[in-house]
Amino acid sequence: MILIDKLSYRSKLRYVNASEKLMYAVLTLILCILSHSVRVAALVFVINGILTVGKGGIPLSRYVKLLMIPLAFLIVGTAAIVVNVSKVPLDAFAFRLGEWYITGSMAGIYRALELCATALSAVTCLYFLSLNTVMTDILDALRKLHFPSLLIELMLLIYRFIFVLFQTASAITVSQQARLGNRDFKTRIRSFGAMGSELFILALKRSNVLYDAMESRCYDGNIRVLTRMQPPRAGEIAAIAAIELILVLVWICG
Amino acid sequence: MPKKHKILLRAYIAFAALFAIAPASNAMHIMEGYLPAGYCVAWGVICLPFLIAGFISLKNKVKENRRNLTLIAMSGAFIFVISSLKIPSVTGSCSHMTGTGLGAILFGPASVSVLGIIVLIFQAVLLAHGGLTTLGANTFSMAIAGPLVSFGIYKLCQTMKVNRRVGVFLAAFLGDIFTYCVTSIQLALAYPSEAGGVAASAVKFLGVFAPTQLPLAVIEGILTVVIVIGLETYAKPELKRIGFFNERKEA
Repeated sequence: MILIDKLSYRSKLRYVNASEKLMYAVLTLILCILSHSVRVAALVFVINGILTVGKGGIPLSRYVKLLMIPLAFLIVGTAAIVVNVSKVPLDAFAFRLGEWYITGSMAGIYRALELCATALSAVTCLYFLSLNTVMTDILDALRKLHFPSLLIELMLLIYRFIFVLFQTASAITVSQQARLGNRDFKTRIRSFGAMGSELFILALKRSNVLYDAMESRCYDGNIRVLTRMQPPRAGEIAAIAAIELILVLVWICG
Repeated sequence: MPKKHKILLRAYIAFAALFAIAPASNAMHIMEGYLPAGYCVAWGVICLPFLIAGFISLKNKVKENRRNLTLIAMSGAFIFVISSLKIPSVTGSCSHMTGTGLGAILFGPASVSVLGIIVLIFQAVLLAHGGLTTLGANTFSMAIAGPLVSFGIYKLCQTMKVNRRVGVFLAAFLGDIFTYCVTSIQLALAYPSEAGGVAASAVKFLGVFAPTQLPLAVIEGILTVVIVIGLETYAKPELKRIGFFNERKEA
């Protein structure tokens, strides 16, 4: 139902310690943003590509398609940064429109390229985490970092409910389509609204039933789940440290 | 000169065509890695007081009645699902609701701030909408600013005795528009224009996102009204439980 979630369960890196993966992704992400350099970004892009596709076994075509998701925002946002409207033409390009110029500067273009590179490599960091780590493992890692337990519990429940509600929503949508509920724009709006309100009512009912079920199994305010032991390995930690060190060196020397 | 105009026209057509082929023109999530580090931290810090207030309010609700925990979790999942389903759109590209208006009207702005950040984390990790570094900025625009405006307008319309449906529409519509304005200003602050500074840059960002965001806001408004009508028709007892009808009962 959710592509990234499905892929994360199939990843070969799934059983690597989640704290390690979280640490690696976040550190690399921070380095990317702080350095804002094309070299670091390119290096991160390649490393994460190798890790996710090569080591993690995520199909390349899927990975490329996923990288396309933020592309629309990237292109539109970057266009807004590069293109200027002003009375004086800048050095890179200028089109005259009456008294005004649609124009841009070399510095602006360079900055935009740098930004694109940084943003794309940051996205690969996010994908490394989300394509190779199952959500419950991420939550477990957060629990170890002493996040408030109410928050973690809430996230755990929400994560579970998302799939329940998705299933309900898709069932409703299928039956609406079978009854020509998506014939034209008006019916589409009406169907979506009906589906939304019905979904909400069902969600409330489910939450009631779920609480009863939890209560009857001795729920006392804490959801206790067994977690698979995935001890961190020294070799992996060393590899992460090495990668981060190389990135820092590239940043400082580059 | 005509040649230059031709180039300009072509560039514009290519830009417009982008909206048709773009895989998802989702609500205004700033993508991962798009903001400089300083801004990521600053927006996170700005969000903190709202999140803490929301967290305390949630904690009290759960303490009051433990049954509320599953209810709150269901509400969070509902916001996530409703905001990741494709909605009917006029342009043909697929778009999503933000769900902020609906959430604010149903659950109040305090709970929505915490539910919103959880939903945004899930959207970043599971759907790649938004990101971890831009979480602060996105939370401020979509889980704090937008819902606050929605809720304020909804209450204002109630006290001014405006037609309920109009009130709900305005709340969802203006909440969306406000989210889009805040995001544009956030981007403009981080990337001021070389000619004209922050203000010019804000206008540019508002301009490029307008083609997707304005129709989306209208559709979101309409859908929110349809959903609220549906709820009022079929789910009065449930709505009472989450405190939606309290004020109206006395009125």
